[in-house]
Amino acid sequence: MSQHLSSEDAAAIIRAAGLDLPASDAARIASGISPGLAAFSAVAGTLPFDLEPATFLAVQRPCAEPKEGGQ
Amino acid sequence: MSLSLRPSAGAPADPALMTLAEAAMAIRAGVLSSREATEACLARIARLQPALNAFIAIEPEAALAAADAADAALAQGEVKGLLHGLPLAHKDMFYEQGRVSTCGSKILRDTVATTNSTALARIKAAGTVRLGALHMVEFAYGPTGHNAHFGAARNPWNTAHVTGGSSSGSGAAVAARLTYGALGSDTGGSIRMPAHFCGVTGLKTTVGLVSRYGAMPLSFSLDTIGPLARTVEDCAILLGLMAGADPLDPTTATAPVPDYLAAAEGRLKGLTIGIPDAFYVDDLDPEVARVLDETIATLKRGGARIVSVSLPDQMKLSGASQVVLNCEASASHKPWLLERPQDYGPQIRSRLENGFAIPAVTYLEALRWRGPALAAHLAAVAEVDAVLAPTAPMPAPTIAETDTDGGPGAEAMIQRITRFTRPVNYLGLPTVSLPCGFTRTGLPVGLQVIGRPFAEATLIRIGAAFQRETDFHEQMPEEP
Repeated sequence: MSQHLSSEDAAAIIRAAGLDLPASDAARIASGISPGLAAFSAVAGTLPFDLEPATFLAVQRPCAEPKEGGQ
Repeated sequence: MSLSLRPSAGAPADPALMTLAEAAMAIRAGVLSSREATEACLARIARLQPALNAFIAIEPEAALAAADAADAALAQGEVKGLLHGLPLAHKDMFYEQGRVSTCGSKILRDTVATTNSTALARIKAAGTVRLGALHMVEFAYGPTGHNAHFGAARNPWNTAHVTGGSSSGSGAAVAARLTYGALGSDTGGSIRMPAHFCGVTGLKTTVGLVSRYGAMPLSFSLDTIGPLARTVEDCAILLGLMAGADPLDPTTATAPVPDYLAAAEGRLKGLTIGIPDAFYVDDLDPEVARVLDETIATLKRGGARIVSVSLPDQMKLSGASQVVLNCEASASHKPWLLERPQDYGPQIRSRLENGFAIPAVTYLEALRWRGPALAAHLAAVAEVDAVLAPTAPMPAPTIAETDTDGGPGAEAMIQRITRFTRPVNYLGLPTVSLPCGFTRTGLPVGLQVIGRPFAEATLIRIGAAFQRETDFHEQMPEEP
C-alpha cells in the first residue's frame, strides 16, 4: 500500500465499510491515519506466506513459564 | 500472598495519607477501622472533587455501610481477605452485576451491567469497600482526560493541566489521596500516561496476565488491565490479587502467578537495565531528559548495571499499534456509530471514524507481524533485564492546549503524547511507570521500565528498589 492515503481513497473505503460521512470528514480521516499507515508501510507486503496471528502467542507464552531461580 | 510489611515510620494523622499496604495492615491489626479509613477518603473526596472531577459517582452512604459491616465482621474474627475493609474506587469500566458502568459515555450512562469483571471481582473478594466510580475518557479512547459528557478530569498538581488518560480519574484520585489505589486499563498508554502526568505508580500488565472478562473492550488484541497506586509495593499487592488464568477469558495464560510482593523486596544489584540509543531519547522536553539522566544515576548508585540497547524500529511498531487499535475499536463501536453517532463526544467519534478507512488486509498484516516483531524485540533485549524510557516526551500539557475536540489536529496531538507508549502495547509487554522527578513548575515526570512478557516481578523489583532510594512517590500535591 502506498504511504499516502488520499481523501478519495479514504472516502471509498469508509463507504465500503458501511459508514456514510461527508467528503470533508474523509480528508480529516486520511490525514489522521496516514502517519500510522506510512510507518507500517515498510512491513506491509513483506510478510511470509505462512505467518498467522497466533505466532504472537507462540513467541510470548514460553516467557510465562517459571525460570530456574525466578524471573 | 501474605501481607507482611516493614513497620511504617509513623502513621500519618490523616488515614487517607497512608499507602494501600499501610492502611490494609492497620485495618487488619485493629489499629484503624474501616469506617475511619472510609470517612477519611470520603472527606477528601468531598473537599477535592469540585476541583479535580476525579469521580463519576460517589457513594458515601453505601461505602460507610460496607465499612461498618467490615468492622463488625472483623470484631467477630472474620477476615474476608488481604484488603479487608479497605476503601477503593476504580475506573468506571469494570462491570458489576446490577450496577451501572458508564464507561465515561452517554451511550452506557444508564446501562446496568449483567456480568462481573473478573479483575474487579478478585479485588473485591479480598474485602474492599467501594467508594464510587472514577472518571475516565469516553470508552477509554484518548490519552488526555477530556470527556465531553462528564467534563475533563483535572491534574491535582495543577488543575489547568490534563491528568492523562484514559484512566484519568485513577491517576488523579490516587495522586490526591482520594483512594488507596485504583484499577485502570492500558491499550495505548492509558495507565502509564496518567501515572506519569499525576505522579503516581502505574503498572501496565502483559497481555494475557489479567483477565479482561467483564471489562469494557477497546481493542481485544491490545487491552490490558492493571493497578495505579502510590507505590510499587501497593501495585504488587493489587496485581497479585488479580493475575492468573480465568476460564471466562481464554486468552489468559495458565502459568502460576509469582509472589509479586516478595519481588518488591529485591535489590537493584545484579540487574542490567538498557537505555535505548534512539527513539525514546529523541526530541525530549529538556526537563524529561534531565529526569531521565538523574534516574539513570540513581539506578547506577543502587547497583544496577546500565547499558545502551538498540531496539528494532519503534516507528513501525507504533504504526502497527495504531492500525490494530483503530480497526478493533471501530469494529466494536460500529452499531452505535451507525445508529447514534450524535451520542459520542466529537474527539471519540472522529477517532472511531478513522478506523473505517483502514483496509482489512492492512489490519491483518499488522496482526500477523506481531509474533516476529516480539521475537525481534526479545532478541534485542536478550542481555538486559529491562529497558528504561520516558513514559511521554513531555510533562502534562494544559487542558486548553489539548482540547482539540476532534478537529484536524486531534489525531496528531494524540500521536505525539502516546509516542512512547504505543509500541509497548503492540508487543504486549509489561511496563511500570514510576514517579521520577518534577519540572521546575512542579509537574511530575514519570519514566517507564519495560520488561519481557510476564516479567512483572522484575519490574516490581526494580521499581520498589528505586522507590527505596527516592521519595518522588511520597510527594503529595497541595490542595487546590
